[in-house]
This record gives sequence, C-alpha cells and structure tokens, in this order.
Amino acid sequence: MSGGSARSLAKGSAPPGPVPEGLIRVYSMRFCPFAQRTRLVLKAKGIRHQIININLKNKPEWFFKKNPFGLVPVLENSQGQLIYESAITCEYLDEAYPGKKLLPDDPYEKAYQKMVFELFSKIPSLVASFLRRQNEEDCSGLKEELRKEFSKLEEVLTNKKTTFFGGNSVSMIDYLIWPWFERLEVLELNDCADHTLKLKLWMAAMREDPAVSALLTEPKVFRGFLSLYLQNSPDACDYGL
Amino acid sequence: MRFCPYAHRTRLVLRAKGIRHEVININLRNKPEWYYTKHPFGQIPVLENSKCQLIYESVIACEYLDDAYPGRKLYPYDPYERARQKMLLELFYKVPHLTKECLVALRCGRECADLKLALRQEFCNLEEILGYQNTIFFGGDCISMIDYLFWPWFERLDVYGIADCLNHTPALRLWTAAMKQDPTVCALLIDKNIFLGFLNLYFQNNPDAFDYGLPC
Repeated sequence: MSGGSARSLAKGSAPPGPVPEGLIRVYSMRFCPFAQRTRLVLKAKGIRHQIININLKNKPEWFFKKNPFGLVPVLENSQGQLIYESAITCEYLDEAYPGKKLLPDDPYEKAYQKMVFELFSKIPSLVASFLRRQNEEDCSGLKEELRKEFSKLEEVLTNKKTTFFGGNSVSMIDYLIWPWFERLEVLELNDCADHTLKLKLWMAAMREDPAVSALLTEPKVFRGFLSLYLQNSPDACDYGL
Repeated sequence: MRFCPYAHRTRLVLRAKGIRHEVININLRNKPEWYYTKHPFGQIPVLENSKCQLIYESVIACEYLDDAYPGRKLYPYDPYERARQKMLLELFYKVPHLTKECLVALRCGRECADLKLALRQEFCNLEEILGYQNTIFFGGDCISMIDYLFWPWFERLDVYGIADCLNHTPALRLWTAAMKQDPTVCALLIDKNIFLGFLNLYFQNNPDAFDYGLPC
C-alpha cells in the first residue's frame, strides 16, 4: 500500500499509467473527508491499494477523465473501471472484496444504515458553511443547526441502545460519518456535542478503532492545511509533507 | 398516494418482482396523526412489514425490496455494474425538482423557459449516457432498477405539459417508448384524464384531489 504521503498531482502532470493487477487505486486528497471514507474502508477491509493525491486547487486536466465532476474520491481498478461518489465507492469495495463485511447482510439492517446516513446528510454542508462563515452571527446560527443534527443522531443511539450506529461493533455507517466528527476539535465545534452524551461516547470509541486511529490526522497539520486552503493556496493539499 | 412519483418507484418494484403487498394511500394535505409514527415528517413512500420494521426514502425502499425478496433481481449482481447504476442515479438528481417547478410555473400561469432549458440540459446528459453505452435501457439491453427509478418523472412529462423537453433527445424518446412496452410500467400507467383531474383539484387546494377518479 503506497502513496498516502505522496505529493499531489497538479495541472501539467502526466497522467498515471494503468493500475497493476492485484491493486486498486484511489484518487484522494490527504485532508478530504469524503476521500477519508474510502480510505477507512480500504484500511478496515485490508484491501491492497495505491493512493494518488490530487491537488484540488490546481487539478490536472487528465483527472476529469477519471471523474467528469473532477472530485475525489475516485476508485480505479486494473480493468480500468472507475467508480466515484464516496458512498458508492465504499459500498463497491464492501461488495467486491472478501473479508469483514461492513454493511450488514440483513436487508432491513442494511436499509437502516442507509436511513441513518440520510439523517446525517445535512452535516457536511453545515460544517463547510461554518468554515466559510463571515461573522459571529453566522457562527452561532450554524452551531445551533449542528446541535439539532447531532440530537437526531443521539436519538438513534438512544433507540438502538448500542455503542455504534450499526450495533455493538463498528460498521459502514460509523466509517461514513466519522471524518466530520474527527474535524470537530480542530474547528472548535466540540461544544456542539455537549448535550449528546452517547454521541460523545461514540466518538471516543471510534478513536480506538484500528482503521480510524491509523488514519487520524494531527490537529496542527490539519490547521496548517485549513489556513492555506481557505486562502485558495495551491500548496494547501501538500501541507506537512 | 396514487399520483406521487416517489411512491410510484416503490410500486413499480413491488410489481416487477411480483411481491404480494397491500397499499395504504395517505391524504398528503390532511395526514392522519398516526402517520407520523411511520415517518417522522409524514412523507411517502414508507414500507412496513409484518415485523413492524419501517423503511423509507424511495431509493432505500426499492433496494430493500430487491435484497429481501427472491425472484428476478433488479439491480445487477456485479459490484461494478451495481455501482454504475448508483452513479447514474446521481446524474438524475436535478430532474424531480425541475419537473415539479415547471409544473407549478405552468399551473400558476408563469413563464418557465429557463426551467425547461435546465431540464433539457439534464436530459442531454442522460442522452449522452445512452449514446455512449449504445443500449436501449440505462442498465443494458434489459430493463433494470435504474430504469424504474427514472421512469415516474418521464411518465409525467406529457400530463405536466412539458413533453417537448424531449424534442432533442432521440435515444431518450426511444427509451420512453421501450419503457411503455414493459409489462410492469404498463400495468401501473395512470390514465391521462384521471391525472389531469387530480392536478386540477390539487392546484385548487382541494383535499379530495388525492382520491380523484376513485368510485364513490
């Protein structure tokens, strides 16, 4: 497995060659929460993979052939098949590769995880809006909305009476939502979870998960990236290398 | 609800797979209080089984039925082909909103040239897919899940008054013709006059709209 710490490819770079047999490639960016979902699943399932980081502030022209939307993550296999949209890549990996199944076999439990995923769906854009906020009014409004969304998730844990969103062990839904919770501390949004105790316990339990802890980013590196990214610096994606 | 496109998806899958089912129609303008125990916001479709398990969001309900029931599989077995169908669904996401906005604009006597242009653009994207694949249906040469997930909005283009949005997309027109030959689609086709009757009452805010066309 290679490339997690590789410099990103930017405009003017040569397109990478075909993916060797026995490997799957993920086009990623070290700090992207959506791509982190895919990397968590690759790690959790022990799938041999190669990471190519993309400079999202200065994208290579060839990257649009991998994904017409020009977004990460994208999977490419040795047959040249391309899969994009983070949730779709995660489900593809779970279906295509053996070993621990992250999605339940039971049709209802699988549907339940997808319904919880829908419950989570407003959080990424709220966090993104928070990053781009202009003033203190925006800040408190957004934090209030985030607290509301966290309460919905708290209700799920309360009803299920389990540590994780899919039961008593980590499963797909936990990995899909984790990247935004990892970033709460650095974004100073931890207090939004003050009244959602089960959610706080879940966050602590997730940090103990081997795949999650292997992929944790140091807060100060993340801060360095964020500062450059918000200034649209083409060096942001490689911060810390 | 007999005219809801999202619920239509679920009814298509139930029919296509020959699943024995019971339909309970909900009056969406005057929802029973108990319905909020089935869905937190009172939306449809919702599936409920004999174990009292509730499944909602139309796409999730359709996938659940495909997974839980035997017989003909509507999603492909191959993980990559399954992923392709899900990626295609992402390409479709603006269509429901745009068709509804066109309908509302026309019914309120407003201009909707911009909306129709935007809808035509979405149809061009879908046309490109059919052209690139060179297949009749979105999943290949046989009808599959993705076709059923798209269909309800295309069935409504005519009755909404925006069928001309397909003027520049011949492969998409061929697809709609092929869809109308499918026994499942056919069995669930809504009579145009009944649909118009529903729309007239709906836009007059008549709470009886949802039952239009049923014998008294």
